[in-house]
Amino acid sequence: MKKTLTVAEMAIREIGRRRGVLILLALLPLAFYFSRRGEAYWQSVRFVCLGIGWTMSTAALFAGNAARGIEPRLRISGYATHQLYLGRLVALWAVGLALATPYFLLMRFDLDNLRYSAIALILALTVLVSAPFGLALSALLPRELEGMLVLLTVVAMQMMLNPDGTAAHLLPFWFSREIGEYAIVPEAGTAYVERGLAHAAVTLAIFLAVIAFAATVRLRRRPHMSIA
Amino acid sequence: MSLRLEASKITKRYGRRTVLDNVGLRVHAGEVLAIIGANGCGKSTLLRICAGLLSPDSGQVRVHGTLGFCPQEGGTAEFLTADEHFVLVGAGRGASRGRARSDGRAAAASLDWASADSAGISRQLSGGTRQKLNLVLAGLGEPDVLLLDEPYQGFDNGSYLDFWQQVWRWRSAGKAVVVVTHLLNELRRADTVLDLTPRSAR
Repeated sequence: MKKTLTVAEMAIREIGRRRGVLILLALLPLAFYFSRRGEAYWQSVRFVCLGIGWTMSTAALFAGNAARGIEPRLRISGYATHQLYLGRLVALWAVGLALATPYFLLMRFDLDNLRYSAIALILALTVLVSAPFGLALSALLPRELEGMLVLLTVVAMQMMLNPDGTAAHLLPFWFSREIGEYAIVPEAGTAYVERGLAHAAVTLAIFLAVIAFAATVRLRRRPHMSIA
Repeated sequence: MSLRLEASKITKRYGRRTVLDNVGLRVHAGEVLAIIGANGCGKSTLLRICAGLLSPDSGQVRVHGTLGFCPQEGGTAEFLTADEHFVLVGAGRGASRGRARSDGRAAAASLDWASADSAGISRQLSGGTRQKLNLVLAGLGEPDVLLLDEPYQGFDNGSYLDFWQQVWRWRSAGKAVVVVTHLLNELRRADTVLDLTPRSAR
């Protein structure tokens, strides 16, 4: 646990020193929010969640790529593979929660007649899913440009696709639309929340499995090595 | 002296090009081995295979003890300070924060880098200072086998001499040290030399 927390602490320090990235992280979801605030406030809830999902995924993509240079050294220095990716995930989740909290407060006091607990749930799930999404992308696409293009595509599809269509269900942030329906529409039942939770759980499990598998393969002890 | 590192029958190909063909090495405690050879002859590849970072097409590596590795480039986090690197790598070896910091600073001072405690983040360090950090990290936690891939890149002359003194301190402390180098005039500082230059090119 100590090693995992040390990785998490250092990852937070690294992210904290990327001031330009932090400013963008903080402001981009705000732009998403106000883009729909005037004419369709209910969409601004969904958009701000997508904005946070996108920025956190991007931060995770860059953090994952930045770690590639030092992780082999850390493996040799006594870290287990899972300590490395779990430490980084913990750091990203902490940053994500710090980012999402002001947005929750913004919606809590700026928008009326919503189910605020459901909004808190969407934000928490968005942070929970977006960090491993970005790390999984960095594991599969080690070049940042490719990863960014995939992220852009996913968020654009998330905004444009009919959420009731099957293809939309395959997108990582579909749950935010489902739980968002419950948060905004007074008549909506808890079935929306149940479907959203199930979708988030499956998505999270898939991304965690991808991260664990990719890291285990990349940082494995090679079969030619025998260490006594 | 006891055997610390043994690589046997290592073969590595990149596509159709065979870089290492049935290469072997043995390094004992208290021994310095220099790996030399022309550019592209597989020096770094052999070291990465010995560190377990790269798989050979065939062959085996046996390590008796713990490993420390200093890559030719990379190996540090751009946005962490030297002290934070010491804590991060030291934690992997089971060292406390205080111990990791004091050991790291002491090792840095022995490489003529006395201000490691107040150094900025890694990306702001000069190339030579970053390599000093890399070298200090390789030796942190007293590993039994040190694999150093041209670690003196960017060193000034004084630091370069300090580097070899550090290698000899490790040697005296019973470490097995492998240094990839292209500086043939320094071979007298090594106990054993492994020349990877293909016979046809010698």
